[in-house]
Amino acid sequence: MRYVRAEDRPPNGDAPPGGHVDPSPMLGTWFATDKQSAGVVKLELAERDGAFVVRAFGAGTPEPVDWGEVPAVAYAKSVMSDEGMAVSASYDFGFLESLLAAYSKGGILVLDTFNTFKDGSGRSAYFSREFFHR
Amino acid sequence: MISRLSDRAPDRAAPIDPSPLLGEWLNYDVASRNISQLTLAQRGDDIALRITGVPDIDWGETIAYPFALTVDGGEAVAFKAAYDFGFVTIAVLAYLNKRLLVVDAYSTFNDDSGRSSYFARDHFYLR
Repeated sequence: MRYVRAEDRPPNGDAPPGGHVDPSPMLGTWFATDKQSAGVVKLELAERDGAFVVRAFGAGTPEPVDWGEVPAVAYAKSVMSDEGMAVSASYDFGFLESLLAAYSKGGILVLDTFNTFKDGSGRSAYFSREFFHR
Repeated sequence: MISRLSDRAPDRAAPIDPSPLLGEWLNYDVASRNISQLTLAQRGDDIALRITGVPDIDWGETIAYPFALTVDGGEAVAFKAAYDFGFVTIAVLAYLNKRLLVVDAYSTFNDDSGRSSYFARDHFYLR
């Protein structure tokens, strides 16, 4: 079994769980703890026909901006766990690419976004970190 | 165009200054089973990332993309990079927090080993 760090190797030669990570611990609607957020204000994590999906909403006036639904990847805490505790997803808006990466801990979802503009507007690529509750 | 209010264009954006990220970063946790150290270096217009996995496995160099805190630009506060080893792909996503570099690795196996995709976090200090 190939690896690039010790964490990639199942301990004691145990058999891995099969490769599927169950996203259900993360499913639901998550709201930004900062009600004045100018970033992502809501996240919907759901399973659709067996596929894990994310729907994000950005801060906007008068209503939040619906980013639509995109495929997501669920991550466990180790190669031997099948319980989802982190998620990643990518949005391509044409003028902007946003990579969303989040992990859950103690009932809170911590979201990092990595945002790169492609429209020549001169806007800098920027990072954000936001917190969410169900 | 914007996807959220924080996308609104500034009057004038500065280039991203990657210097806060550059250097050799060592893991605080000597018992980590993930990444032991990483180096970020300027290579022309690019930033090269080199990672050493535990125990002493050289991942080679890949390009790291810096991010500022806002669309105004200025000092880098984060970076993203990716490694594709064939059997596993790893997104390396990191941010600075008071001179502490927090590095998250999102790993997805592409082989038939049955290993779960997994998330790992480590904290690094500048040598």
